[in-house]
Amino acid sequence: MSERSVSRQKQEKRWYTVLAPEQFDREELGETTADEAEKVLGRTIQTTLGDLKDDASENNTKLTFKINEVASDSAYTEFIKHELTRDYLRSLVRRGSSKVEAFITVLTTDDYRVQIQPVALTTKKADASQEKAIRRQMIDIVEETAEDRSFEQLVDSIVEGRLSSALYSECKDIYPLRRVEIQKTTMEARPEEVAAEEETSVDVEE
Amino acid sequence: MSESEDSKWGIAHVYASFNNTIITITDQTGAETLAKSSGGTVVKQNRDEASPYAAMQMAEVVAEKAKAQNIEGVHVNVRGPGGNQQKSPGPGAQATIRALARAGLEIGRIEDVTPIPHDGTRGPKNAGF
Repeated sequence: MSERSVSRQKQEKRWYTVLAPEQFDREELGETTADEAEKVLGRTIQTTLGDLKDDASENNTKLTFKINEVASDSAYTEFIKHELTRDYLRSLVRRGSSKVEAFITVLTTDDYRVQIQPVALTTKKADASQEKAIRRQMIDIVEETAEDRSFEQLVDSIVEGRLSSALYSECKDIYPLRRVEIQKTTMEARPEEVAAEEETSVDVEE
Repeated sequence: MSESEDSKWGIAHVYASFNNTIITITDQTGAETLAKSSGGTVVKQNRDEASPYAAMQMAEVVAEKAKAQNIEGVHVNVRGPGGNQQKSPGPGAQATIRALARAGLEIGRIEDVTPIPHDGTRGPKNAGF
């Protein structure tokens, strides 16, 4: 009896094809199953950049998408997170060299709040003052780039590595760098949420 | 079961501690479990739950169930206990991946997803590393 009802349950479930946002050419990300369309909403799916672009050399970047819309048999997603794989990041860290990390929260032109975490690796041990200078520079550049970019453009420049190469070229004068990467990007709030926060926030000045 | 007419990929979550191994195969979102197994289902003695042999048996069972549901390959997420315990996966991890591959599932990406604290609480007295 119980066995039969389980198999019946399985049959009632339908498979949904998960598609990437337009920004990533509506590529197929994978499939997920559910008995009710509602249950698909809010699920997250992870792929690597290599899978999306058919380029195995880019398999060190993980992208996370969240399902926010369901049609008859396909589910649409939005970008929520970008991350380097742990083994790749670990392989960059060496003894006798410094790792400079920064955490920057920025607001894009279309009011998305995004946290960006760049990481710079030096060739040799840098002084604290040099590390500070690099960090300062990275923060400034990231804030600058975010200022005149929409969410999509920003994500694009991160994913394609333009932002990290800009950081590299600007910061290498301070101290010789081995590598600069964006280790993580998280979408923290959508425009509606940012607006709602502003409305409810209380001025604490004075 | 009909030959690769509509084959899909899944994720195999392998939790390998020193006391047990738990294998769960889910769809690609990780929200729907397709098959699962743990050490206790294949061995009698508690201390054998983490053994590579048990992991092999489990992997075979799980792979069979997954294939019955049209899963052709899996990405593998391995993890150890993490937190303030061992950061490296236990003895069952490697055996599981091998056995999954031998059972005819394709293996995609393999990643270590052990939870690693950015600081956290003090570790146990004689943490084995």
